Amino acid sequence: MLTYAPGDSLAHRLDPRSKLLFQLSFAWTAFAHTTPRGLATLTGVALGALLAAELSPRTALREFRFALPFLAAAPLLEALTLGPPWVVPGDAVPPALASYRVLLIFLVSAAYVRTTPVRDSRAAIQRLVPGKPGQFLGVGVALVFRFLPVLRADLARVREAMAARLGDERPLGERMRLVATAGLNRAFGRADRLALALRARCFAWNPTLPALRFSRLDAPAVALSVIIAAFSLV
Amino acid sequence: MATTTDSVDLVGDEVVGNVARAALFAALMGAFAYVSFPNPLSPSPITLQVLGVFLAGIMLGPVWGAAAMVLYLAAGAVGAPVFAGGSSGIGPLVGFTAGYLWSYPIAAFVVGAAVHGGFALRDYRDASVVRLVGAMTLGTAVIYALGTVGFAYVQNVGLVEAFLVSAVAFVPFEAVKIAAAVGIVRSDAIAAS
Repeated sequence: MLTYAPGDSLAHRLDPRSKLLFQLSFAWTAFAHTTPRGLATLTGVALGALLAAELSPRTALREFRFALPFLAAAPLLEALTLGPPWVVPGDAVPPALASYRVLLIFLVSAAYVRTTPVRDSRAAIQRLVPGKPGQFLGVGVALVFRFLPVLRADLARVREAMAARLGDERPLGERMRLVATAGLNRAFGRADRLALALRARCFAWNPTLPALRFSRLDAPAVALSVIIAAFSLV
Repeated sequence: MATTTDSVDLVGDEVVGNVARAALFAALMGAFAYVSFPNPLSPSPITLQVLGVFLAGIMLGPVWGAAAMVLYLAAGAVGAPVFAGGSSGIGPLVGFTAGYLWSYPIAAFVVGAAVHGGFALRDYRDASVVRLVGAMTLGTAVIYALGTVGFAYVQNVGLVEAFLVSAVAFVPFEAVKIAAAVGIVRSDAIAAS
């Protein structure tokens, strides 16, 4: 699973806000220029982003292997037609280009995930989304990161216990009900204890955030994002 | 550290409870993505995520249920491995799964509003089975309608092809999830109300 890894690559030193801007302008342009030429240029940009993050394309691709059957199936199915000549290869070209564009967007977002720690992402969210919605998102995102591994372990234990008692021989609906019930009970129990702890520690709408500062490195990154976004208008 | 000179603005007691529950529910949604059952109709497994959307609407209500789903999407966007197959980042939110993921907050809101009969929270245990099943069927329709349209748009294919690739192998199992959700809501097994 691809997660943040500490490092001192170029992408690690960028401000999270410029990395978010870069991803959005990349996706925007990939949708505007889904042509062989546009995508060839964007492939270079995506590989550059991976290089800046010191992330190998193979590692990034492995992360999205679940997506590959869907990306392959769409063009294949589009090429089929009911009735002669049954297969029209030309019909598969636009969906194939679309699949490739999605793959490029995935690669660029993998570079962000690898190089941005949670607290920086949280600080970026709270600075980009004003007011209490931003605070809620920031706090909530930090809590999701904290509790995801805990709840995953809870659910894994439940499934293990079920399997040990031959619970995995039961019908699908019953297995889903049992796992979800146990998961909900754990989650609500943890939420009650968390709420108590937050109240005891004067949980406030305006906590102190880590400082985010645009460095000199961000100027070229932002400029590149603007150029890529402008490219979509051409 | 950034410094601020504002006085401390405490979060109200009720809101603290709701924030904690929404965050834990969002994390549970992420954990549900890893609970997979083999799918006889497709190489992609069935996960409990849609069940999580239903339960968020039913148990947290339309507003906080939808808020929990927004948290889930935001956490995934900045790198929590909570999307299908443990993936994360902005990619899934603008890729072919975009329609499905963005439909979750809307579906949770629709399910919550239908079960609670509006914005005000009522005891979901009092809701009739017909109301529960109707609400979740409506939620399923929202998820698959937006998901199919999103897939067709992003992948540049027709709506029929999009439905065949992204939905048809999963829709039958939604009935199983609806039945499981009714079972969960009707039983006394959930401690919190």
